[in-house]
Amino acid sequence: MLIGYSLLLTAVSLILALRNRAAGRVTLVGTAVLLVLLLVQMVVSIVVWGQSPETDGILFFGYLITALLVVPLAGAWAYAELTRWGPAVLAAAAATVAVMVVRMDQIWL
Amino acid sequence: MMEQQGTPAGDAATTSARLTREQRAEARAQRSAARAARTRYSAIHTGPGRVLTAIYGLLAFAAIGRVSYQVLLKFDEAPFAYSLSALSALVYILATVCLVIGNRVSHHIAVAACVFEALGVLVVGTLSFTHPELFAHDSVWSRFGQGYGYVPLVLPFIGLWWLIRIQRRVSPRNRPTPRTSQTPA
Repeated sequence: MLIGYSLLLTAVSLILALRNRAAGRVTLVGTAVLLVLLLVQMVVSIVVWGQSPETDGILFFGYLITALLVVPLAGAWAYAELTRWGPAVLAAAAATVAVMVVRMDQIWL
Repeated sequence: MMEQQGTPAGDAATTSARLTREQRAEARAQRSAARAARTRYSAIHTGPGRVLTAIYGLLAFAAIGRVSYQVLLKFDEAPFAYSLSALSALVYILATVCLVIGNRVSHHIAVAACVFEALGVLVVGTLSFTHPELFAHDSVWSRFGQGYGYVPLVLPFIGLWWLIRIQRRVSPRNRPTPRTSQTPA
């Protein structure tokens, strides 16, 4: 589900960038939701950790923590830019997060 | 704005305090805008440069994560490849920081970093095909950055193009036609 959502955010930001609009409240909320989803994912992973003892924990949480750091930083960087390139930043970051989530999915055994 | 200090006593203090705060904030904003305008190289991270900086930042993050994992835990498994990853991480961090700082010196450092990256990805990419035994595990530049969607291959060239464009934008105006509020970048 997280994959789907980050892809959605990527698509939305991309459309915004293409339509020459600055990052607005909708994308702000969208970004915040992505952050929350990642946090939820983290909590859930910790809770069900016992069920998959073979997963490489450091790798998995490395990806997760990186994603968690990237989202607010990218958000700040995107919102400080008033032109269309703001959402472009968000699109790039969201796409990267999507890739990271796919990777996390692959790692989780 | 000073005229409003004649309002009724109860509001006068808060009104003038608020106004002074607003005035101060406005002055601060003007000063930082002036500071930013003074180094015209700060255009580096505006417009499309914003995305460039963001992608470098993302790559830097990814590289840091990868390197921390590889170097701290599994260095023995593929020391050459992991050392390369560490090197590339440093270069990406350097490029990101330089793009964010955005002044003349960091511009030149960023150019050097991009050139280094371009060479790195080409050389290491080629080596990963001709001497695969050196690369027991992948590094960022293996196979021309295939593991990262070929972004490491394309990015330094885009970076160089952007940096050169900024340089061109800055240089003609540096000719000595004196403009009062500008100091030489």
